[in-house]
This record gives sequence, structure tokens and C-alpha cells, in this order.
Amino acid sequence: MDVATTLPKLLMIAWLLPLASFAITSLGYSVPQFLGIRVRYSTQVYAAYIAIGAIVLGFVLSCIALFGCWLPAHPLTAASHEGGEHAAAQEHATTSPSLFRYVAQHEAQEAASHAEEHNNEAPPYITGDWYALGIFGKLRLTIGYYIDTLTVTMFAMVTLIASCVHIYAFGYMHDELHDYTDHEVHLADGEHLHRRGRFHRFFQYLSLFSFSMLGICISGNFAMTFVFWELVGICSYFLIGFYIERQSASTAANKAFIVNRIGDFGMLIGLMTIWSTLGTFNFGDMKAADGTVVPGVFSQLHRPENHYRIAPTDSMIAFEGRNQIAEAIRKAGSTEPVAMEATVKAEVARLRAEDGTKWGHLLLFVAGVGIFCGCVGKSAQFPLHVWLPDAMEGPTPVSALVHSATMVAAGVFLVGRSYPLFSAEALLVIAVVGCITLFIAATIAVTQYDIKRVLAYSTVSQLGFMMLALGLGGWVAGLFHLITHAFFKSLLFLCSGSVIHAVHSNDMRHMGGLRKKMPITAYTMLVGCLAIAGVGVPFLAGFSGFHSKDAIVEQALSHWHHNWADGFSWLLFVVPVFSAALTAFYMFRLWYLTFAGEPQDHHRFDHAHESPRSMTGPLVLLAVFAVIAGWGLPSFAPGPFANFSIPNLLEQARPIGTLASKPGVYLSDLFIPSEHIAHAPEMFRPIKLPAGLAAITAAIVGIFLATVIYLWKSVSAAKLAAAMQPLYQLSWHKWWFDELYDFIFVRPVHAISAFIAQVMDRGLIDGIIHTLAWIARGCAMVVSTGGDRWVIDNVVDTFAEKTWNLGLSLRSLQTGRLRQYVMFIVVCTIVLFIVASVWRIAVAGP
Amino acid sequence: MLEFSNPAIFITWLVFLPALAALVIAFLPSRGETLKQISFGVTAVVFLMSVAMIFGSGPTRFRAGVDGMQHMFSVPWIPSFNINYLTGLDGISFPLVVLTAFVSMLAMGASWPIKKYEKGYCILFLLLETGMLGVFCALDFFLFYVFWEVMLLPMYFLIGIWGGPRKEYAAIKFFLYTLVGSVLMLIAILMLYFHSDLRALKSLPPQQVVATGVVNLKLDEAAQQDALQKIYSAELPQHTFNILALQLMGQHTDLFTTPSWYGHSLQWWAFVLLGIGFIIKVPSVPLHTWLPDAHVEAPTPISMILAGVLLKMGGYGLLRICYPICPQAGYDLAYVVCLIGVVSMVYGAFAALAQNDFKRLVAYSSVSHMGYVVLGLGVWSAFAGTQYNPDYWKMGMNGAMFQMIAHGISSPGMFFLVGVVYDRVHHRNLNEFGGLFARMPVYSGIAVGIFFAGLGLPGLCGFIGEVFVVLSVWNYSVALAVISAAVVILTAAYILWAIQRVYLGTEYKGPHGEALTPFTLREFSIAAPLLALAIYFGINPKSLLNYMQPSVDKTVVELTDWTKKHEAAATKPATAETTVKPPHNS
Repeated sequence: MDVATTLPKLLMIAWLLPLASFAITSLGYSVPQFLGIRVRYSTQVYAAYIAIGAIVLGFVLSCIALFGCWLPAHPLTAASHEGGEHAAAQEHATTSPSLFRYVAQHEAQEAASHAEEHNNEAPPYITGDWYALGIFGKLRLTIGYYIDTLTVTMFAMVTLIASCVHIYAFGYMHDELHDYTDHEVHLADGEHLHRRGRFHRFFQYLSLFSFSMLGICISGNFAMTFVFWELVGICSYFLIGFYIERQSASTAANKAFIVNRIGDFGMLIGLMTIWSTLGTFNFGDMKAADGTVVPGVFSQLHRPENHYRIAPTDSMIAFEGRNQIAEAIRKAGSTEPVAMEATVKAEVARLRAEDGTKWGHLLLFVAGVGIFCGCVGKSAQFPLHVWLPDAMEGPTPVSALVHSATMVAAGVFLVGRSYPLFSAEALLVIAVVGCITLFIAATIAVTQYDIKRVLAYSTVSQLGFMMLALGLGGWVAGLFHLITHAFFKSLLFLCSGSVIHAVHSNDMRHMGGLRKKMPITAYTMLVGCLAIAGVGVPFLAGFSGFHSKDAIVEQALSHWHHNWADGFSWLLFVVPVFSAALTAFYMFRLWYLTFAGEPQDHHRFDHAHESPRSMTGPLVLLAVFAVIAGWGLPSFAPGPFANFSIPNLLEQARPIGTLASKPGVYLSDLFIPSEHIAHAPEMFRPIKLPAGLAAITAAIVGIFLATVIYLWKSVSAAKLAAAMQPLYQLSWHKWWFDELYDFIFVRPVHAISAFIAQVMDRGLIDGIIHTLAWIARGCAMVVSTGGDRWVIDNVVDTFAEKTWNLGLSLRSLQTGRLRQYVMFIVVCTIVLFIVASVWRIAVAGP
Repeated sequence: MLEFSNPAIFITWLVFLPALAALVIAFLPSRGETLKQISFGVTAVVFLMSVAMIFGSGPTRFRAGVDGMQHMFSVPWIPSFNINYLTGLDGISFPLVVLTAFVSMLAMGASWPIKKYEKGYCILFLLLETGMLGVFCALDFFLFYVFWEVMLLPMYFLIGIWGGPRKEYAAIKFFLYTLVGSVLMLIAILMLYFHSDLRALKSLPPQQVVATGVVNLKLDEAAQQDALQKIYSAELPQHTFNILALQLMGQHTDLFTTPSWYGHSLQWWAFVLLGIGFIIKVPSVPLHTWLPDAHVEAPTPISMILAGVLLKMGGYGLLRICYPICPQAGYDLAYVVCLIGVVSMVYGAFAALAQNDFKRLVAYSSVSHMGYVVLGLGVWSAFAGTQYNPDYWKMGMNGAMFQMIAHGISSPGMFFLVGVVYDRVHHRNLNEFGGLFARMPVYSGIAVGIFFAGLGLPGLCGFIGEVFVVLSVWNYSVALAVISAAVVILTAAYILWAIQRVYLGTEYKGPHGEALTPFTLREFSIAAPLLALAIYFGINPKSLLNYMQPSVDKTVVELTDWTKKHEAAATKPATAETTVKPPHNS
């Protein structure tokens, strides 16, 4: 079995199955509708069967791809951090405090012994094109695949969670299988809205969404990523706005899409930079038809002669220095391709030498930050985080799948995918944005009462953690957290959905004590809370979130350690740890308010009941994964399972040239440490130990405080809020971001558009046109009254009058007497004869 | 006369069949329904004929992947001025011809609700179609101008008689704007004509000159050479209206570079005059204000034609006439052209955001979307700084062409869909709709699809054109690229907001709610093909690019070669003076 041909086919089928499901159900239900036939509810159920079948089959295929194809071909190795895969520049040794001094000195020696730090080559991957959208000379815009360990892992993760959510939704959306009364919509006559159920439509959208999301995962180039990026955006739009009758839902859907488009604007700029300088969007090296290898984006930036370190390409330098290039070509005076190429090469070499480092780096930075902008939008990072909490207007399974586990994680995935593109400065931007996001979102989540909003803000915050990790050089840490988070967050959302299903309210003030009524939901959710809080026994084992969060905190500390001198990188460690404590706090606040204590609303409590098995089944399954996702299998496990663990999988997928540390170019102090530094045995004491203790302490403190306030009620939450009124208000009003954006963006845009439509268009331009028309008409009036009537008409009238008078005077001649006429004729003849004779003599001569 | 297998005659029939039918209809008794059926039949036949050129076999087939003119046809028309009836198709014009035939057929299908003076309507409509097809087929500048004017008058009456409440105002505004454009164009045509001289093409390879159709194409090769030599050896300048010959003169001779008024060359002025004419048609800011009024007042089918076909003539003119004939002016004014495009994109999007009239919103979206066309045509990114790399410009120009077709699909669709609700409830106030999804589910589903095509959603045709253009701009100008990329935000805003106000929501808020009946079969069969094509071209753009790209690429490559020559010549004098002069002095 040839992996290179089987695997793309396998994943392509897994990818296209949901599309087929979407197409079949759309046609199958739209055509009868057009013919005026109402689709019976018993028929609508089949949409769910088809969609579930497609996605579960996709999951099976993904598992076969992972364990049957990929791992046998590329067996995992146990993580080894032996040897000096790390180095720190000399100056760090001198500026580090005593705690770090020993290690730093040790590193400096290591660095001296290794002239060049070890860096990694490209991971194993399979890439190719399916078909081209457009080919312009050497430029090829294609739809293709790029399959590496990350792709396969993401496929398995996405299809697994999507399968759970599909099955769960079968139970959850049951309300849509009969005529539906929407209690949140009031008609003009005060009644609630009654409408037909839309069970099938929900599953159509879910299928389309799964297709789009898998498209991002399998995508072979940035252009295709952008295509599916937009498609998941539109699926999210449909799903948020599923209750189209609700004004709040359609507004939230619009907000989500438009805010995402703001991110896409940045992403387009990044795409343009890549496209214009590198001439390709491919992630991997692609074999052309004539056998030559066309290098992809990543290998162009990480060349073997640079030890796979990131460096701007010749084309980037040529782009930045295009004036110099033009001058050189002019001087050389030849536009023959070969001669021109030589000229350009010489000029680029001169520029490279002229100013050691800076040429081309700006474009590299713009490309990186541009792509990251797209991720900011999709992953709801500050300052574009405002759409995600509103997106909770969609049905809860959607929140679980789209707005926590997969789509919003696509931003993190893309940062991970395009990691070789980021220079050190771009990574710092990512880290800072992630840090701000995780803090703001955590502070907001603390005071909210809507159970889904708390989870939404916790999602934003956790995505911030991932971005922070990626930005600080922790590629594995960030993506590890992406996967563990996907499990426990979808679990948490589905649990909250189960609760909402039971009590018909999102407000936690209406809940309480529910663990007696719905134990499965309660205890699976507890597992989720423990996982997100990161509970575990340090250096041994814990819930999935424990492992991944630990890795993030470690990397943050490692970064601080290497950037000791700059005075602010401690924030990138302290803020996440503090926010981790907040996370534990608000998650347990949520759990206590919902499941513990006394019921707050007895009416709702009495009607509550455990959810049906189609809903609790996925909960249990996801809970299992939320516990074990961080664990690994030993090296003697059979076949493809040897050494199987998510960090090992990710380590195998590590993109080209991202193992080595990255020093800054513009910020000469900046040093993004290699991820392996923190894992080295000699770093246990300075980094691993304090990081591990900090993480677990944060979790315990957070849980303890929540227990004190919300379970034991030793401290009144209301009094605490009153004591910290300004902070409470800030959190409760979500830092006033919506109001701020409304004031500084929405209103000005409307004002500008009104100005353009009314003042510019109708006022100025049409004003000029109307003035011209008025002048033209004025001229016409002048001409018609002045010229026509007075001058020409007068002339004509006078002429007519004279003619008339002449006629009148001649009338007297017309007497009717024959003799008189004959005499006239004779006289006239004689006169004419005389005239003619005189004429001849005078003019023509005798 | 009836040899349909002869491609030249086939195309002539294609162009004049509607006019002939109009003549016949003039003598028929005025029974509304029958006349519309006949007219629809004629437009359908024309469409089938154009489609037959894609899928058919034999000599009339239009071959994909060929960059030159196909099916050229020439007969002397006014020999004393060297005016010929010269037509032909290439990858630039052929897709537009098919689009014209397609949109005309759908628009005729959308004309059923028109109940006033049906006979006159049908006659004018068919005349209009002949004019439009003729413009895209004509290769003689004079003929082009004639067709251009033929198109103008029926349009004026179609808006002015069958339009809405302010129809007279809108019609006269449309007429005057376009007339100003065509007068300027006429001046430019005459300027070019009187400076053209076929004898200057002597230095070019004879085949290249013969291919323009300046000598009788039916002759055998030797006779053509003789005819050509006869032209070359003439005493007096051999003026011509032949567009292809003028292109050769513009790119390979300095006939049009003679200084003219105010220090600018003849071709600079010609470019500006022609450019204004075409920009009015596109329309770009600030010459666009006829469009919203014309659209709002025009009946639905006429709006479809206006948006689907007439606007494309501006872009077509820029691509076929302005750039190839006046390359130096195009080179000098490239930034201005791009700026006009970008300003239109932004301005149109902002203006659309402020509209409360559904149709006006769609009209401004046309201004915005056609801005992409102007921008894509203008990105002259093959210069020394980019090592004369034509690839990005190819991408921009192809993107512009693709955007023309894409807009020709999505925009008539949008106007039609607005028309569908207008026919039912007789208002277009965006704030008085809502809840249409519940009342008209199939209609709303198709509408959302077509509006998303306008929004530029991947998988639909609008995306391809926009992305090609936007990606190509960075290599020309970073600032323009950033602004053009920002338009995606505004586009999403105005389209989503409109969808929310019309289709989503709880209940219908306006008058005549009882009239909101589901889509009829006729309406469905007009809208559904548009959506199907939008999806098809969005997923498989190569199917369209296969036809248009060779010709567009050829234009770009020719202009790139010209740029190389031009930039080399521009730097020469400095070096020539220093190196050549000394021997003269000694």
C-alpha cells in the first residue's frame, strides 16, 4: 500500500462525505419544497441520519488514515531532549539573575561548542494539487492537499468531536421535529411565533460546516485555506443565525461575519505579500509537470544554507528594493531575461551585504502579522474577540462544535500551520495579543451569569493561551492545548446544552442543585471543569488540560528566562498564571452555581430531568477523552500505538526550521527560545519545577476561592462585588468593548456612508450635474428667446412682412384685363432684352 | 446568405437576428403575450447560437486556448473613408457575447409583468440586443461607434417609457451622460483616424498586418501580399478605422506620440477622451451618478441588461481600445486608472451601506464591484522594478475580465430578485421588509445564494474575480492594495445587513403582505440558472479562463514588450549623448 497515493484519497473521501451529505439533503428537501410539498417531520429525520453517517464514516476513515497509513509509515519516537538543542547568546548569561545564572552559563558553554544550533528539516509530508483555479505564467492558484502528522491528527480530532456533536444534536434538536413555538420572538400581536420545525436544515448546515473545517485542515496552500476560511465563516453565520426570526440571532450572525472579515482584511494583506514575493501559496514543495521541484513558501524561507533558519528570500529583498533593482537594470541596459536575472542577482547580493540584516525583514513581518490578523478574527482574539460571546445565540451543539472546539481553533491551527512564516517580532505580536486576550476574557467570565457566555469567554481565554504559547515559541504546547481544549470545551458546552435543555434557561441564577436531577451531566461537566482548570499531580499525570497548560506555562517561563533584561516579559508569564487561577475560579463558580447548593428556581428544578441517551452518550465519551487526552502510551505498545501521545504526534509534525530559537532582528534583545530548552534535564530546576508548581498552585487557589465563595458561601459574592465595584463593573460590562467599538467604528462608518450617499453623491456630484444642466438650459433659453425670437425671428418676420406688402402692392396689377397684360409682357421683354444686351457688352465684350 | 456553416455569416446572423425580428414584429398585430413569446424565442435562438459556438463542432466552433481573432469577417462599407464592416471574436469578446445573449434571454423572460405598449417594448428590446452584440463583435472603430449609438436610443426609451415615477429624469440623465461619453469618443476616434497611416506598418511582419484584416481576408496569401504592398506604396497616408491595425500602430510606431495640445501627446488625449467615455459606462466615481437613478427607475429586465451587459462595455473598451492603442498614455496614467478603480470600490460600498432603497443598494454595489474591473485592468505591474514580470498583471487583467462575467451573472440576478418582490408588494424600502424566508422559502434561498455571490464568497463566481484582482495589486502599489483589500469588510456589511432586513426577521413589516406569494416557475427558471452559473464558475473558473486567458495574456505580453522598449528608450538619450557625441565633435 503506497501511503503517498492512498492517504490523500482516504482523507479526500473523509473530507467530501459531509459535502455529499449537504448536497443530498439540500436537494432532497428543497425540490419538494419548491413544488409546494411540505416535508413531513418523519422524513426530516433522514437528514440527521445521512449527516451522522457521513461524519462518523469520516471519523472511521480518519482513524484508518492515522493508525493504518500514517503511523506505520512514520512511527513515533519517544520525545528525546538529549543533547544541546538549545543555545542562548552570551549576553543572557551576564544579565540573568542568580537563579538562572548557573543554567545560563551552562548554555553559553553549550552554545560555544555548537557553532550552529541544531535546527529541524521539514517533517514528512505528502502534497499535491487537485486542480487549478488559475494559472498565470509561473503563478499557480490551486486547490490541493498538504498532509502531515498535524493534518491527520486534526482530521481525527475534528471528525471525532463533530461525530459526538452530530449525535448529541439528534437529541438536542428534537424540538425542531414538530411545529415549533419560539418563546423568544414576539409578534406584533403579542403572540409567540409558531413555525414549522427545521430539523433537516440544522443538519445540512452542520454537514457543510464539517466539510469546510476539514477543508482547512487538508488544505495544501494559503489560497485554499482562505477559501475554506471564508466557508467556515459563512457556515458559522448560518448556524449562529439559525433562529432567523430572532433579531438578536441575525444581528449576532452579522457581527460574527463582519468582524471576521476585518481579520480577513489583514489576512489578505498577508496573502498579497506572500503571493507577490514568493510567487506561490504552497505549503510544501511541489513537483511540477516537468519534474522540477517548485519550492513552497516554507522551504523558500528556511533554506539549508541558512541552517533552516528563517531568512527573507531574494525575491523579498528585490521587492523592497525595487527602485534599486530598476536602476540597476537601467544601468545594465539589457532586458534580456538571462542578463536581467544576473543583474538582479548581483543587485540583491549587494543589498544583502550592504545592510547586514534589515532588507526584506519588513515584508516578512508584514506577511506574518497579516496572516495572524486572520487568525485574530477567527480565533476571537483581542481586539476582535467581541463576536464570539454573541455567537452563543446559535443552538448549543453549534457552540460546542463551531464556536469552541473546531472553527475558532482554526485560527490557532493556521498559526501553527504557517509557523515557519513568523519572524521573531511577529511571534512577539502573537504572544502579546494572546496574553491580552486571555486576561481580558478571563476577567469578564468571572462575573457573567449566562452559562454559555461564561463558556464563551473561557473559550476566548483558552484560545489566548494557545496563541501565547505559539508566540513564545511553544509550537507543540500551543497545538497540544488546542487538541485537549477541543475535547474538554466541547464536553463543557454539550453539558451546558444538556442543562439548558432541562431547565429552558441560560441563566445560572435559575439553576442550582441540579446534580441530583441530572447526575451524568453534572459529573461529566465536573470532569470538564477539572480538565480546563488543569488539575493534576505535578510531573506525574493529570487531566488533559493539566498537561497542555503546564507546557504553556513552562514555555512562558522559559521565555522570561531568556528575555530577563527587557523588563516586560515577566508579564507574559505572570498574567497567564494569574488568568489560570481565574479560569479555575470561574469554572468552578459555574459548576457550583449550576449543580451544587439549593435550587434557585423550584419550578424549573421540578421540571428538570436527565437528558436522553443520544445526548449523554457523547458526554461520557468526551469526558473520557478530556481525562486521557494528555496521556501517552509506552514504547512497547503494539504497532502504530508505540509511543502514541499527542505531544509526540505533534513533535513529529514540527514544521521546518522551528526548532531553533529565533533572535529578533528589529528588536535586538528579543529571543524566542526553542521549545526544547525547557525540556532539557538541566532545566528542571530553573524552569520546569517552578512552572509546574505555579500552574498547579494557580488551579488550586482558583478552585479553593470558588469553593469558599460559592459552595461554602463563607464570603458573600455580592459583598465582594460591592467592595470591588469599579472592577466588577468593568468585568460585568465586558470592558465596554461593544460600546467602544460602536462609538469609534460603527457610527463613523454609518456617518461616512451617509455623507457619501447624501452629500457627495446627491449633493455634490449630482449638484454639479444639475448645475450644468441648468446652465445648458439657461443658454438654450437665451438662444431661443434672445437669439431666436429677437434676432432671427425679427429678420424672418420683417422679410415676411415686406414680402406680404410687396404682394399687396402687386395685387393692384392683377386686373384681369388682357390688353394690360400684353402690354406688361411687351415692356418686360424689351427691358430684359436691353439688360441682356448691356450685360453682354459690359461683361463679355462686343 | 444562409450558409450557417460559414462562421462569418453565422456571427452576422447572430448580431442582426434580433433587429430583423424587431422589423418583423413591427408589422405584426399588437397582441402583447404573443409578441413577448416571439421575442423570447428570438433571444433564446440567439443564445443557443452563441452556445453552439462553444459546444458545437465544425467551422463555427469558437476554439478555446487560441489567442488571436477568430471568425473574422470583412466587407467594405464606406470605401472612400476606408470603413469596413469588420467583425471578429477573440477570448475577450466571445465570453461577453455569450453573456449578452444569456442575460438578454433571461431579461426577456423577466419582461412578462410588463403590460404597457408591449409591441414597442419588444422592438426596442431586440434592437438593443443587436446593438450590444454588435459592440462586442465590431473590430472597425466606426462600426463600433455606430453600434454604440444604436444601443443608446432604445435604452433611453426603455427607461423613459417603461420606467418608474421619475423615469423622464433618469432617462435623460442616462442619455446625456452616455452621449457626452460618446461625443468624446467620437473626437478621439477621428483624432486617431486622421493620424493613422497603414504605411507605417511596413516594418512589421506581413502576416501580423494581414491578420488585422486591413486587406481582404478572402484572398489567397499571394493576393493579400500584393494588396498589402499596394497599401504600402501609396502616395497619400492610408487612414484606417481598423482597431487591430490601430493597436499595431500604437505599439510599434510613433504615429500617435506626436505632441499635441498642452504638452501631451495625441495618444494621451485620445486615451483621456476614450477613457472618460468608457469610465462613464463602467461607471466609476465620479461619473457614476446616472447609474443609481437609471437602475431605480428602469423596469426590472432593463436593469438586468444595464447591469449585466451595458456596464461591461466600459471595461471592454478599456481593455480592447484604450490600452492597446494608446500604451504610452496608459503607462503614464496607470496610477490614475487604478485610483479611479479603488475609489469606486470604496465609494460604492460606502454609498450602498447608506441606502434604504433595495434597488439603489444593488446599483451602488455595481459601482463598487465594477471598480475591481477598472483596478484589475490598470495594474501595470510589469516594469523595471519587477523585472518586467507580466504574471501579476496577467492575473489582474484576467481577474478583471472574470469579474466582468461574474458581475454579469450576479448583478442581473440581484436586480431580478429585487424585481420579484417589487412586483408583489410595490415598494423597495429595506426597512419595510423582513421575514421573507418564511413566506417565500425557495426565493429567499436563491436570493441569499446570489447575494453571497456578490459578496464574494468562495465557491461562488464573485470571489474569483475579486481575489485575482486584489492579489495582483500588491505588486503594483502597496497602498492601493491595502485599500482594495479593506473593501471586503464594507461589502460584507452592506450585503449582510440587507439580507437581514429583507429575508430574516420575524415578520413582514410593509404593505401588501398578502401579495407575497411563492416563486412562480417562470421566476424560478430565470433565477436558478444564474445561481447555478455563479456556483459553476466559482468552483471551476478554469472553464471560463480557458477561453479568455490566451487573448488577455497576449494583450499583457504585448504591452510588456512595449514597456521594455519604452523604458529602454526613455533612458537612452542620457547615455547616447555621452557616448555618441564626442566623435562628431572631432
